[in-house]
Amino acid sequence: MSDETPQHDPLEKVIELRLPSKLGYERVAMDTASSLARRMGFAADRIESLKTAISEAVTNAMEHGNQQDAAMKVVVLLTAREDELIVSVADQGRKPLDQDCTTGSPKIEDALERDDKGGWGIWLIRELMDEVEFTTAPSGGNQVRMVIHLEQ
Amino acid sequence: MSSPAYIQTGMELSLPSELGFEVIARDAVAAFARRLCLPADQIEDLKTALSEACINAIEHGNSLNPDLRVQIYCRFEGERLIVEVIDEGVSPVAPKNAPLNVVDKIAGLGSLRGMGLMLISQLCDEAGFVAGKDGGNCFRFTVSRRHANGVGY
Repeated sequence: MSDETPQHDPLEKVIELRLPSKLGYERVAMDTASSLARRMGFAADRIESLKTAISEAVTNAMEHGNQQDAAMKVVVLLTAREDELIVSVADQGRKPLDQDCTTGSPKIEDALERDDKGGWGIWLIRELMDEVEFTTAPSGGNQVRMVIHLEQ
Repeated sequence: MSSPAYIQTGMELSLPSELGFEVIARDAVAAFARRLCLPADQIEDLKTALSEACINAIEHGNSLNPDLRVQIYCRFEGERLIVEVIDEGVSPVAPKNAPLNVVDKIAGLGSLRGMGLMLISQLCDEAGFVAGKDGGNCFRFTVSRRHANGVGY
């Protein structure tokens, strides 16, 4: 589909999804990933974790990276391997992600004092997924790569 | 790949050309259709039509070659959902002759398979092959949102 798609191991199965940056469309990514995860044999609670993490990653990409410009795309790559599912979410990087945001652990006491109660997404993704890495997409946008292991 | 302008508000999905992946396409497109608030029964029809179109692309258009891909484009035009399923055109999918009807098939005048296109045409407002790019078969079908009072169908 795109020149950005890297070459893959023939045993990997890759699904590529491109969505407009419009809140609500993250549900398409959630349902696509959960359908693939079910097919791979993930347990129901792991699928719920996966859906929540994808929802956070895609809404971050829409709201922050792409600044809610519906014409800008969020690209979700789902790579199914025998023992893990890799999810990569990339935006077109109108606003680069502050790297300090990707490591800290927010404190609930601080949040209670703030008007804006948001800012939990990245922490949540780290809690829910087995591996998380923030990088720059080939397109120059922000990219988060999340891995969830299949425990047999 | 640069997207045509009309796709800007739509969705693009690319899948391995392998039987079974049509189930994932079905769930993705159903989630997209829910954004248009299509009624549940229309979403079920859409899922059936999409499965048939994907299986045609995988089995016929891509001749069951798992190294190939199937692309799906979805977009809204007003209250109409337009879906395109595109294969890599290993072989043509569009039938050369008018297909046999169900009665003739049951009477043994032809294979009991090959009813997918007929089924899709019954479930959608419009369905058919359109000119695709790069030599692939491009099958397009549309579903218009039906309102509770019947307007729009």
